[in-house]
Amino acid sequence: MTRSLSDDRPDDPAGNTGSDGDAVADAEPAAVTGGAAADDPGRIKVGVGELAVTSDDAILTTSGLGSCVAVALADERAGVRGLLHAMLPAGDGRTTAVSRPAKYVDTGIDSLIAALDDAGADPRRLEARVAGGAEMLDLTDAVGPRNVERVGEVLDAAGVPIVASDVGDAVGRTVRFGPNGRLVIRAADGFERAI
Amino acid sequence: MRVDVRALGACNRLAEQGAKQAAGALSDLTGTDLAVEVTGASVASGEDLAESFAGRESIGVSVGLRGGLDGEAVLAFDAVNADALLSLLPGGGSMERSAVTEVGNIALGGFLDGWANYLGKAIDMTPPRYFEADGAAVLPDGALAGDGVFLFESRLDATTTDLDFSIYMLPDSGPFRDLIVGKTAPAATAGGEANGGTTSTAVPYESLSTFSSLAKEGSANAADNIAMMTGLETSVDVSRLRFVPLADVPAEVGTEPHAGTVFELQGEPSGYLAILFEESSAAAVADAMLPMDPNEPLGDMAENALCELGNVMTSGFIDGWANVLGTTITHSPPEFVHDIGASTISPLVAKLSERQDYGFVIDTAIRTEGIQARCDVYALPDERELARALDRLSES
Repeated sequence: MTRSLSDDRPDDPAGNTGSDGDAVADAEPAAVTGGAAADDPGRIKVGVGELAVTSDDAILTTSGLGSCVAVALADERAGVRGLLHAMLPAGDGRTTAVSRPAKYVDTGIDSLIAALDDAGADPRRLEARVAGGAEMLDLTDAVGPRNVERVGEVLDAAGVPIVASDVGDAVGRTVRFGPNGRLVIRAADGFERAI
Repeated sequence: MRVDVRALGACNRLAEQGAKQAAGALSDLTGTDLAVEVTGASVASGEDLAESFAGRESIGVSVGLRGGLDGEAVLAFDAVNADALLSLLPGGGSMERSAVTEVGNIALGGFLDGWANYLGKAIDMTPPRYFEADGAAVLPDGALAGDGVFLFESRLDATTTDLDFSIYMLPDSGPFRDLIVGKTAPAATAGGEANGGTTSTAVPYESLSTFSSLAKEGSANAADNIAMMTGLETSVDVSRLRFVPLADVPAEVGTEPHAGTVFELQGEPSGYLAILFEESSAAAVADAMLPMDPNEPLGDMAENALCELGNVMTSGFIDGWANVLGTTITHSPPEFVHDIGASTISPLVAKLSERQDYGFVIDTAIRTEGIQARCDVYALPDERELARALDRLSES
């Protein structure tokens, strides 16, 4: 068997070959689900420095938030939701901010809003829920709080209100964002709360 | 001849994209969602590989590669997971061999498509060969012979079913070496631009095998220090140095609660080191170190004990590195962590990500006789400083 070449061979070794319907990083702005079986709403795992958007009943999840911050945006009327797991406050014109926008709060939120727009959301109707940004370690000069601060600035500039948040402290969090629009946050001891 | 660690990074991304293709092909075939959890490139000696695969039984398929890439690629399932896989396939478990072969062929095809695109050359695959193998026999032919082979390893995980498997690709070192050296110049330029500097991350090819020594030397020293401190017989189980995207590191640690210590390293290289135990292991180790039963399993007394242990292990580790590299490295006092594993390591990854996208992770499991405990050591050095130290080493 011969593995053939596609005509649009990318110069970028990362290619552009993410599988369908999954969370993606790199240059692809977002994944939009819709292909899942009707009786299984599906779960979409959003990794570190990734974002995903859904217009069906899929549950968006991201785990192990420490200093990283999760930004959940929804247009409830359009039934479109998205989740971002960003690691650092600002892209500052770095090349990775272009190739992997979801790594940074500022470029990540912009990409998430654009992807939601593409999926049928009205950016003027978006509401935000924010979790994470913990100050896990003294060693790492407050990267968590800086992430949270940046989220506030970027969402404010975009005109998206933050309706609820669970941020800061020194606790890890795992979140899931289901079709009811609430963000469910789980701590290491298993305690859960919905915001 | 010099190899840029960023070129390795590009190859790693390629392997990751290939693994995503393989996951997509398998998802279509089985109707189960599969996600690529981690992709890593390692440079390891045959001896290290044999050690780290000891005791594992695998089934899978292998194909030979010719054309754009020479070598061998293997897709392997842990034998204990084979039933879970077969139950997902059309036809069930009745056709084990042919089903596994078919799955392997489809997944490896997907994996290699990405590489063929990147190389601009077709890659010919020989017909798939089914195998059942013990230990390191699962690895492509030749993996155990060399003293510094490249191995790409991806782990795929079914999001709804308990099933994961690995893809290993072992390119023939000679031609592959030419390949990454060929890509060095543009990769290095791009990296320089991104960071506004001209700091090189290129290291002599021969130094790549020094990476393995770093992992080994550091872990062995750490184990010796534990033995000295506790009087418990201590051995190092696995010790391998892998090159992985930093963003994958938290997923690798996982969401189980962990306890342990974190250190900042200063010197050449600087960076971070985290020693993480699963909760039960942390409690067992602390218990063994304390003269009396602690009031609570992971309370203040246990925290002190784990910090002290972390201190001696870290000293051992960085002494080992300093020996290999001929540099001086110091460490901060320990900072105790106890939380979701991935959360504890995320700030370290974030800090390092300000300067680099990939990290060297040293997998080390240190086992202590008489108590059921193991820990993982995540060593995350600054890649430029590590490259510089390795480079100096090769000149002297």
